[in-house]
Amino acid sequence: MDRMIIYKEWIKTRGFLLGALVVLAILTSYTILNLAKTVELQGAEVIWSTLVMKDTVLIEALRYLPLAAGCLLAVFQFVPETTRKRLKLTLHLPYPQGKMIFMMYAYGITAYVALCLLQSAFLTIFLCKWIVSELVCRIMRTALVWYLAGLAAYLFTVAALLEPTWKHRILILAVALGVMYLLFLSPVPESYNGFLPWLVIYVLGVQLLIYYGVSRFKEGLQD
Amino acid sequence: MKTAGRIFIGFSAAVLILWLVPWLYNLATLKSYSPPFTLYSPVIHDFTYLDREEGAKNSLRFIDRKGNVHGDEVQPFFYASLLHSRGEFPDSLDGRAITYKEAEDNSLVMTSRPREVARRNAPVYLLMESVPVRMELQDPEDALVIRKDGIKVWNMASNKMLEDKTAGLASQLSANGFVHPAKLLAGNPSHRKEYDEGYLVTDSKDQLFQIKQVDGKMTARSFPQASGLGIRQLFITEYTNHATLGYLIDKDDRMHMLRPDGSVVATDVIFDPVKDNILVVGDLFNYTVKVSDNDGEKFYALSSSDFSLVDSMERTYPTDDEVNLCEYIFPCRIRFVSSNDGYVKPRLQDFSLKGLLADLVIILVIIVLKRRKKAS
Repeated sequence: MDRMIIYKEWIKTRGFLLGALVVLAILTSYTILNLAKTVELQGAEVIWSTLVMKDTVLIEALRYLPLAAGCLLAVFQFVPETTRKRLKLTLHLPYPQGKMIFMMYAYGITAYVALCLLQSAFLTIFLCKWIVSELVCRIMRTALVWYLAGLAAYLFTVAALLEPTWKHRILILAVALGVMYLLFLSPVPESYNGFLPWLVIYVLGVQLLIYYGVSRFKEGLQD
Repeated sequence: MKTAGRIFIGFSAAVLILWLVPWLYNLATLKSYSPPFTLYSPVIHDFTYLDREEGAKNSLRFIDRKGNVHGDEVQPFFYASLLHSRGEFPDSLDGRAITYKEAEDNSLVMTSRPREVARRNAPVYLLMESVPVRMELQDPEDALVIRKDGIKVWNMASNKMLEDKTAGLASQLSANGFVHPAKLLAGNPSHRKEYDEGYLVTDSKDQLFQIKQVDGKMTARSFPQASGLGIRQLFITEYTNHATLGYLIDKDDRMHMLRPDGSVVATDVIFDPVKDNILVVGDLFNYTVKVSDNDGEKFYALSSSDFSLVDSMERTYPTDDEVNLCEYIFPCRIRFVSSNDGYVKPRLQDFSLKGLLADLVIILVIIVLKRRKKAS
């Protein structure tokens, strides 16, 4: 049954995942090519001095990509479930309801994390050519909060889609907006480092909203 | 799970309200206050602040602490170029002959804000050549990479460690008693200065050193006089007059002047680098040091020759008497960013008993109303 659920999720998201992979590859390559051009024309010293002297990690153009990927993945995965009463059918399958929901979003999280890992590995390999590992770590540590924002966007979107009433859906979306604003509040590199473990715990807690919505759905609440 | 979900959404909404509503309220009601620019005058031996006289042709004027009004001549060093262009630059002051060139060479400005100090910096520092071949300082080609086991010298173009320079620096540092890892580094790797003094560095035992690249070779020097200060912040000064090598802030927030000969002069300036802003304006006769925070500013006038205290003054910012509505609504406010550091983290501030009581009453009313509704 587990494999069948995963296969069902794969059928729903494979088109999106392929598209996301292509877009991510194009935009990340474009950023890397820009940096390569700077190194070729002005030398790697410019990259070093910009990273050390200015509040930038040079890959800011990619900061909203994980957010968009997380949000769209949830839409592609869960909008088909919420239309034509499919969720009702899904929850009536001879399989524990909680586990069913968990398997669905766990698949989404795995797919999202795989995308992020691919992108960060790609970036790390190229950045290591030009800059010392301490600066590469600084860039990747700064990017961690962007990846976390994508994960939060995924979970909040899933929670909003599975929520049966508009009143609560709007409340979830308002909270999601506030959390997104918090996650992109400071452009200073590594400014979230100390706060990040707490944010990770909070974002993982968003799972509770998914089960909250499902339990309300099971109670028959609907607009 | 349902209760947990309810608590989670309630907690999230409460945090966002305590953060965003007071922030929006402050944004709408905040009144800006800019304190007047103040400098110690070597002419009248008093602090003077800049004031604008409405309607007058030359509206800028200086006012001293007794309320006397003065013209530009009261600040001959701050307005040196202006007075020089008018042919009004004095040829002597306090019985000492002075020249415009001397005034220019001894004019200096230094600033520091908490946000620049309390932040996570990369452990990488650009390294200049202090004795460039072409006389003028060039952009750095190498960098110092601070690691637990030592300071590595890296070539930026090739992204490779320079074994010779790293070994040279390690032997120089160990000969001077440096204990790794390095704690604080202060330097200014910019070619927009007259000369380069490399970096002032403290080691894990808070001892002070200077690292420089001279003729492609790494040099290190220790400052035994600075040991025992418990240095918590340092600033390198590369001013034309070579009067100081750096400013040191000790564990008690006292500011010390590090002279090029390695001697350390304690001053009366008290400055917490992670809480206070500092502005140093120096001239041939005096240094005016302004230390400010959110509540006010303290001015010190130091003698430029021995850094002894000449005069001091305090100014408290006016407090806002207007009613803060948030005080009556919220028990506290949450801020995630601060002007005092570069970190994002929750900070609970402005605790209000009135707000707490108001919220408790509202919660109580809601509970009673809900119970009545249920009962009916």
